[in-house]
Amino acid sequence: MAGTPMLEIKNLGKRFPARAGREPPPWIIQDMSFEVAAGELLTIVGPSGAGKSTLLNIIAQIETASAGEIVFDGEHIASPEQKALHPGLNRRIGYVTQDDNLLPWRTTIDNVLFPLEVQGTLDDAARARAQELIGAVGLAGFERYYPHELSGGMRKRAALIRTLVYDPPMILMDEPFAAVDAQTRTQLQEDLLRLWSLKRKTIIFVTHDITEAIALGDRALVLTQRPARIAAEHPIPIPRPRQVKDIFTMPGFAAIYAGIRADVQ
Amino acid sequence: MSSAEITSELSESHAIPRQWIVTAGRIALAVALLAAWEWGARAFGPLFFAPPLATAQRIVEMAGNGKLLTDTIATLRVSVLGFVIGCACGVSLPFLLRLSPRAAEAIEPFIMASMGIPKYALTPWLILWFGIGDAPKAIVVTLFVFYIVFITVFAGVRGVDQRLINMARIVGASERTIARKVIWISLLPFFFTGLKVALPRAVSAAIVGEFLVAVEGIGFSIERARQLSDTTGVFAGIVVAVTLVLIINAVVNALERRAMRWRPTDRDMQI
Ligand SMILES: Nc1ncnc2c1ncn2[C@@H]1O[C@H](COP(=O)(O)OP(=O)(O)OP(=O)(O)O)[C@@H](O)[C@H]1O
Ligand SMILES: [Mg+2]
Repeated sequence: MAGTPMLEIKNLGKRFPARAGREPPPWIIQDMSFEVAAGELLTIVGPSGAGKSTLLNIIAQIETASAGEIVFDGEHIASPEQKALHPGLNRRIGYVTQDDNLLPWRTTIDNVLFPLEVQGTLDDAARARAQELIGAVGLAGFERYYPHELSGGMRKRAALIRTLVYDPPMILMDEPFAAVDAQTRTQLQEDLLRLWSLKRKTIIFVTHDITEAIALGDRALVLTQRPARIAAEHPIPIPRPRQVKDIFTMPGFAAIYAGIRADVQ
Repeated sequence: MSSAEITSELSESHAIPRQWIVTAGRIALAVALLAAWEWGARAFGPLFFAPPLATAQRIVEMAGNGKLLTDTIATLRVSVLGFVIGCACGVSLPFLLRLSPRAAEAIEPFIMASMGIPKYALTPWLILWFGIGDAPKAIVVTLFVFYIVFITVFAGVRGVDQRLINMARIVGASERTIARKVIWISLLPFFFTGLKVALPRAVSAAIVGEFLVAVEGIGFSIERARQLSDTTGVFAGIVVAVTLVLIINAVVNALERRAMRWRPTDRDMQI
């Protein structure tokens, strides 16, 4: 992918503060460097507990870095010397977290509208856009349901469109489709690709699923287990637009799959 | 038609007999209490135990001559004034302390220590400062309410899910918006628990205050009846106070149900 990097991770390291009665904290992430180009869809694959969520938390600025630095759009946003965190970096980095983090006292529609409400951009056009997104992820008819009345997969979809609705230029996604059935997942993946091809957002997409990483990504990074480093980088030269449901019939798929498979311990 | 309608129908048909059983139980308990009261009156004589019927007659009499209304208003005035001030301070202090965890830690032992001060014992001193009007009583009520509301709201602020706060920050909410739309609503269950403990305390603190200094009010009437060895008057005052607390409690319960409509129905635990 050509273009200036939107995000640069340079020698990033992370260890959590020590706690009494435990051994000194291990490095969760160590000496990690990579770049994400503007408009790129980068997928990250790694074993459970590798530090994927921690990495996204640091990029989203809800967690500090212990070493190295992060440059976003030419601006230094994270380093161990940094004084204050700027979560979401002024609405420019959206984050679909691993937990849905819906507000339990708000209905689906009110959760989806929450970002617009707090940003003061809630108008009829925004409402219509939210309604359209709700329909697109199959939540029509559930607008007035509270989170505890939705299924796990429905909650994740609600959380996903809560980020899409305010259109941040960069979006971090932490296993957003892990809790949905295979058909719905394929549907959501295709929706995501369609949306991405229209809006050309920069996306970092974390997943356990190698097929998903190949179907969606321009490039896949494989992380090592503890401490997390980049084990390998796999370009995915499968042409777009891609058909997610028969991605494995594409020439080259098998080779890329085998390559990533071998790198994921 | 829709699944939502079917569910609500189900719970409705379930709710009616359940409510009925609860009401029947309450009536049975009330009758048992009245019986015990009547038995006490017969066993110990009217000086020690005013009979229920005489107490009821006295209350009707007080209602007739307007004393019931003036007493209730006087007591309510003091309770509400102290309650509102105590609540306002008890809610806002935890939010202020949230801004600085270090200040919170520094201040906490002082608040806990000051909680040990016997508040009624302050009344004579407060009268010295503020005279014999509503002020000293209202201050005592304020103190009672403040500590209860402060402690429950403080626990609530600490218990808020940090992940929800992070989410709100990421989507661009200001700290003020977060306080209002995330933290405050998360801690409503704590707040209402505090209210339910504080409100009866507020009324009884006002009444005890009136024992010491007052020219009207439920506490004043109870104290005067006591001085005249008018046990019926004492009992009547107590019944009026209890009724007042029950009414206030019903109002708080209704408010809580409204604020907590979103919650999964756990009526089984409604107090
Ligand atoms: N707040 C914290 N304090 C201490 N250690 C933490 C904290 N958060 C995460 N960790 C540690 O960091 C490591 C990585 O956690 P993380 O959640 O980033 O993994 P992950 O790659 O997202 O895993 P999964 O795929 O299961 O979601 C874990 O070993 C975990 O114990
Ligand atoms: Mg994770």
